Amino acid sequence: MTASTAVRRRPAGVGRRLRRWLDWMAIPTIVILAVVIAYPIIEAIRVSFFDYNLLAGEAGAEFNGIENYSKLATDPVFWESLKNTVIFTGGSVVGGGMLGLVMALATENLGGAWRWLRGVLLTPWAIPVIVVSFLFRYVFDQDSGILNALLARVGVADAVPWLTAPEWALASVTAANIWSQAPFFLLIFTAALGSVPTEVIEAARIDRASVWSMIVQIKLSYLRGAALVGALIMTIQNFNNFPLIWSMTEGGPAYSTTTLLIYVYRLAFTTYDLGYASAIGVIWLVLLLFLAGLFVRTLRGDRA
Amino acid sequence: MKTANRLLRRTPAGVIIAIALVITLAPVYWMLSTSFKSPQEATAQNPTLWPHEFGLANYEKLFGGTLPFSNFLVNSIVTSLIAAVASVAIATLAGYSFSRGRYRLRGAVSVLVLATQMLPLVVLIGPLYLLLLKLHLLNTFLGLILGYTSFTLPFAAWMMKGFIDAIPTEIEEAAKVDGYSRFGILVRVVVPMTIPGLVSTMVFVFMNAWNNLLYPLTLMSTNTKLTLPPGLLQSFTGQFKTDWGGMMAAACITSIPLIIAFFAVQRSMVRGMTAGALAGT
Repeated sequence: MTASTAVRRRPAGVGRRLRRWLDWMAIPTIVILAVVIAYPIIEAIRVSFFDYNLLAGEAGAEFNGIENYSKLATDPVFWESLKNTVIFTGGSVVGGGMLGLVMALATENLGGAWRWLRGVLLTPWAIPVIVVSFLFRYVFDQDSGILNALLARVGVADAVPWLTAPEWALASVTAANIWSQAPFFLLIFTAALGSVPTEVIEAARIDRASVWSMIVQIKLSYLRGAALVGALIMTIQNFNNFPLIWSMTEGGPAYSTTTLLIYVYRLAFTTYDLGYASAIGVIWLVLLLFLAGLFVRTLRGDRA
Repeated sequence: MKTANRLLRRTPAGVIIAIALVITLAPVYWMLSTSFKSPQEATAQNPTLWPHEFGLANYEKLFGGTLPFSNFLVNSIVTSLIAAVASVAIATLAGYSFSRGRYRLRGAVSVLVLATQMLPLVVLIGPLYLLLLKLHLLNTFLGLILGYTSFTLPFAAWMMKGFIDAIPTEIEEAAKVDGYSRFGILVRVVVPMTIPGLVSTMVFVFMNAWNNLLYPLTLMSTNTKLTLPPGLLQSFTGQFKTDWGGMMAAACITSIPLIIAFFAVQRSMVRGMTAGALAGT
């Protein structure tokens, strides 16, 4: 035992004997989370084994074993939503990450008064999600949207139905999401660039390294940890991204922008099939726990 | 030669920054400019960069028309503010406990709390709906605020832990010698020292609540009790579908509180968020 812990735990002997299991200050948080998170999770797992209609409630629920789960295998919408989730999440993380990286590298050496420019680049982060969706619904509008107007001016004559054609909708929604999330990566990368040791940069400068090789060979290797952490945080967040997609397309046209989240929501609150919705939710919880485990391990490895 | 070299080094960065600024600000400018346009101009095939007929009609319609916009606005402000204050009060206790507590389950509890941050809200909303139904809290602000805490409290607790970790313990030791209780130390010594962190955490919770669509959409059924996201969504996908001017005016007003709050505490909020995320284990 080191001296400092001995001091903190005074009086030493008594403190040790009375060392409690829990601290009352943590209890309000635990109680609230037990009510709004732990209970719903346990309920969701239980309900996933029932034919449970949200409107009929407990009385109309019938135990049906793993039927909800076996239904998944042959449900084409489930597989399409899984595919859409992967495309949306992957596209957003990769796109946002690249954009954030480029902006971080470009603004790295901004000095003095010019530094506020980086602050301006954070603006999309402060814009409410509902506003982002309205904004891009307007930008992508087939008839009066600015994007088609610009394309027409450049000479691409046909107006593209960005949000109403199944082949474009998912890409358009992802683009809007990238716009709103790039600032997160800008921040993460800016912080990481700040931690590159100056001696390394100095040494490279003496070796007359070009800007390009400085970035590729030196700085990027210091950014790997931040990139990993940022990507994992945003992967989890985009897996759970409901408001943007719902308010831009409601999952349509057809099922082209239906992610797992949208599908679960529709099942629970449009068709009221809470049992089946919960089964998908549970599958997905397992997927997320796996990701979360990866996240924790990455952080541990990063700090070691 | 030297300056030329430096200029050459700087130019690509300058060009990239310029492009990034345009990508960032063009949609925002477009929103602002459209909100002052007449309906005809807003839906014109050939968009104008600057409103030809500058007018406040869109804004007047929001507050004087059939849309219960001021209800949405007030509901959003009230519920988000209460959620922010309540969450931060509880999160400060938890954060202090995670930071300074010496008890066996400390590590397990704090990681468990952080893990809840990653759960999909949509999976929780069905059972939560039924629970609030049983408690007769459906379609009440109390129920909604309780729902908000499910996704704001965990991270807020971690942010507060991060800010409290940064405070040296010596002052608390001194206060302890002076006979303060643990709670007294927290309220009189720690909280005053972490005001910037407290405010940023509050802004973080406020932003999250302000942005949330799922909970009010499912938990509130009376139209006038909706907050901005579901309220605007229902209004502007229904009868006012292509009222772009009105939509952009509503978007501007919805953005203002968040933009002000965000830039007021931007620096320390980012520090707190990255501390919470990076020190996560």
